[in-house]
Amino acid sequence: MLDVTFAKPAAPKSGALALLVAEGEAPAGLWAEVDAATGGAIGRALAVAEFKGEKGKTCSILAPGAGLSRVVAVGLGKPQDLTPQIAEEAGGAIAAALPREVSVAVAAGALDAAHAAEVAAGAVLRAYRFDRYRTKEKPEDKPKLAKLTVLTDDVAKARAAFAPLKAVAEGVFRTRDLVTEPANVLTPAEMAERCKALTELGVEVEVFGPKDLQKLGMGAFLGVAQGSANEPRMVVMQWRGGPGEPARGRGRARGARSGDKPVAFIGKGVTFDTGGISIKPAAGMEDMKWDMAGAGTVVGLMAALAGRKARVNAVGIVGLVENMPSGMAQRPGDVVTSASGQTIEVLNTDAEGRLVLADLIWYCQKTFDPKFMVDLATLTGAIIIALGHDHAGLFCNDDDLAQKLLGAGTATGEKLWRMPLDDAYDKLLKSDIADMKNIGGRPGGSITAAQFIKRFVDARPWAHLDIAGTAWSTKDTACVPKGATAFGVRMLDRLVAEHYES
Amino acid sequence: MLKLRLAPQPAQRGALAVFLAEGAPVPPAWAAAAEAAAFSGKAGTSFEPGTAARRTLIVGLGTPDEAAARRAGALATARLSRSKTLILDARGLPEPVAVALLGGAAARAWRCDGFRTRPDPDASRLARIELAVDRPDDIAARVAAEQAQLAGADLARRLVALPANRLTPARFADHLRDLEADGLEVEVLKPQALRAERLNLLAAVGGSAAHGPRLVVLRWRGAQAGPPLAFIGKGLTFDTGGVSIKPAHKMWDMRADMAGAAACAGAMLALARRRSPVHAVAVLPLAENAVGAAAYRPGDVLRSHAGTTVEVIDTDAEGRLVLADALAWTIARFRPRAIVDLATLTGSIVIALGHAMAGLYANDPTLAAALAASGAAVGERVWPMPISPAHREDLNSDIADLRQCATGPLQPDACHAAAFLREFVDQTPWAHLDIAGVEQIETADDEHAAGPTGFGVRLLDRLVAMRFEAGEEAAAWPRLASTT
Repeated sequence: MLDVTFAKPAAPKSGALALLVAEGEAPAGLWAEVDAATGGAIGRALAVAEFKGEKGKTCSILAPGAGLSRVVAVGLGKPQDLTPQIAEEAGGAIAAALPREVSVAVAAGALDAAHAAEVAAGAVLRAYRFDRYRTKEKPEDKPKLAKLTVLTDDVAKARAAFAPLKAVAEGVFRTRDLVTEPANVLTPAEMAERCKALTELGVEVEVFGPKDLQKLGMGAFLGVAQGSANEPRMVVMQWRGGPGEPARGRGRARGARSGDKPVAFIGKGVTFDTGGISIKPAAGMEDMKWDMAGAGTVVGLMAALAGRKARVNAVGIVGLVENMPSGMAQRPGDVVTSASGQTIEVLNTDAEGRLVLADLIWYCQKTFDPKFMVDLATLTGAIIIALGHDHAGLFCNDDDLAQKLLGAGTATGEKLWRMPLDDAYDKLLKSDIADMKNIGGRPGGSITAAQFIKRFVDARPWAHLDIAGTAWSTKDTACVPKGATAFGVRMLDRLVAEHYES
Repeated sequence: MLKLRLAPQPAQRGALAVFLAEGAPVPPAWAAAAEAAAFSGKAGTSFEPGTAARRTLIVGLGTPDEAAARRAGALATARLSRSKTLILDARGLPEPVAVALLGGAAARAWRCDGFRTRPDPDASRLARIELAVDRPDDIAARVAAEQAQLAGADLARRLVALPANRLTPARFADHLRDLEADGLEVEVLKPQALRAERLNLLAAVGGSAAHGPRLVVLRWRGAQAGPPLAFIGKGLTFDTGGVSIKPAHKMWDMRADMAGAAACAGAMLALARRRSPVHAVAVLPLAENAVGAAAYRPGDVLRSHAGTTVEVIDTDAEGRLVLADALAWTIARFRPRAIVDLATLTGSIVIALGHAMAGLYANDPTLAAALAASGAAVGERVWPMPISPAHREDLNSDIADLRQCATGPLQPDACHAAAFLREFVDQTPWAHLDIAGVEQIETADDEHAAGPTGFGVRLLDRLVAMRFEAGEEAAAWPRLASTT
């Protein structure tokens, strides 16, 4: 992770300098000082480039003098319109503009401490890179940016504001790492091992193997797993930052509990999805390594909450499984019995995510009696045909929870769009021989998937996020380099921070 | 034609339907049968007590609101259509609920027999629906408004049912001419006029068919002064896909690709029949997207009526082209106070929302909310969908102002289409309903007859009644059309 420090404004003697410029702002402070030291080179360059501080604009000036290798001006837009998101995006623009510099100073003297911290967080998020498998990259091709010094008047306050943002960024990186790892490395067992690393942050981690899942009656989950040589895992992560003793896992009495009921997050973790016997076409199948992005997001979120010591009791549950075709694999037409007792006719083995979630959700509410449950899953291609890549689909049985989620999405730029739930879709799941079938046809495909999951939710508030279109990006955006986005970590962290911390 | 009657008492003859809200007490005579049938009054449930003197059906109303009543009335028809007369016993029910029962029952009885040359032994025998209400005179006006809506829906459904060899653009226009009898002004632009008006996108889409395109304008001048409300409906009498030809399977359904235009025409008829005070126009681009030597091609660049240049990517995304020209032309000609367009536009919306709801896109939240409320009230549901900046960016062209659609698998084409249309509406309050998937029902169920639904007619008529008749300020809440 990019090393961030905060310091009092002082003109750097070498390296690169980023100037944050609001629209209509006149040179002052460090900006004026450096401009003078370079004999007005900066002012001339900005004038030639017609740079006026518009949001999203940058202007890069090479070797302007005064020992500096480069100065980049980053537009903030109108000062009265400045939001945390814009500040972060400016930070992202700095990281994107200066990959060749080792050390960058950011003149943030005109910003308050919170915005200065957000600039730093944006740069950190954008500077992420997954490098584990490059062995021969030429040194000149490697990004060098390693150190960011944010120059601000209120160093202590900015540092304090940055600490939780850094914890969340660490959660985001954990998610991006997991989602990016290929399926031959990240098997269910390996991903469970990586979940265990969260114990360092104070998260309690329990791992359940196939025998445990059998005892819990998770026939739907196990049906998906049975075709693969890599055994499934369920991982339960608990962060107890809230008051009292929250719900406990297995072996504890289910009745009376003290303390705050937890909030619960549940993730689909199909480490690779071939589709099983209902096998997918070859083109694009490589993307199915990130069919565990829902689970990856839950892991990163738990790390974020623990990392910033959120005052909440939270449970994260992920179902890790590989969906493979084989002689042992589940067949179209098989009937499985879920942990809830409801039977499912599996008509398409490629609609496997909902089978995993069904058992996880049932287990979650029986074991932890959470305030609400949010599940995340790269569930359907239909949600991409519905919404594209800008919004994830939000399906929710509770208007209040839906509003909070929509708000958190807008605030973090991880946007949601509400989609309908309705009996008209639920009835498409009717099976001739079991309680339900696992597909409802192509029309309304994301909705019938959500209706399927809803059948395993008791009356409590629940939301399902279909992140198939947002978990992976084919192009860079301000704070997210292309690849795994970790969509949901920041939004759900915000949801907790705004509404559920004591 | 189905006859509708009002009476203070159920007639002695005919099948009887009685409606009970959820939890309402079952009359003692039927209590035992109700218990045996585990009947609780839930919506969608019904039973027939065997002991009744004549064929009798007890129907669950659920929560007795208007939408529920439409469903319950439809269910009565679905079950009792072997009788010549159906009597709906609505005594004791609120007036709007009673009228909705009648409307739902009559709409469910719709059928298309025009092409049968021998009687269908399974056909409905229903010729008459009677509504028994406490004070028939009090609801006569409401019933008249409902009948106006039924007439509009009937027109739309008949047009949609007509196959493409019987409904060319020219013959579609002829059918619309007939609406002059109801007091609508009808104007038809033929190919030469289309070229003179620079409706180039419409001309290109309709250019390769043996039956040339038309633009039809229907106008209803109610008592209201000022600019009109405009409806625009996609009227592709047949859509082969053109050079980007469709697969053969289900291509027959493309005779219904004019359901948007049909719904707008039906709504105009409803407004005329109930003498609405509104000033409204419907602008209907009619064309056949055929395969032919003169067909437009993928890659072509066309100059739209608005002047915007459009790069054609897929000739099967033709609906947005004819709508774009119709939108721009309507704004230039009428300066409408608001526009609603209806189109069977994309397969994408069917993947998104299935067959239970249409997609709603809008640049005006107030109009969108009014449409959603109207749809919920009349049982033609719509769901708001997004147009995000990314959707618009996906339409950037290398050589023209706008690409018509994006390429590749898994595209949010319904959103792209809406983003495309938005480029042609300027500041006019505008909403777009993608009604692909709700314009026809494949298999009859309790609620719907098989075939065309007339989706949009009730919705638009209700929108006018609740939002555009009494002036904007007084019309914040849906209300039934009153006497005028």
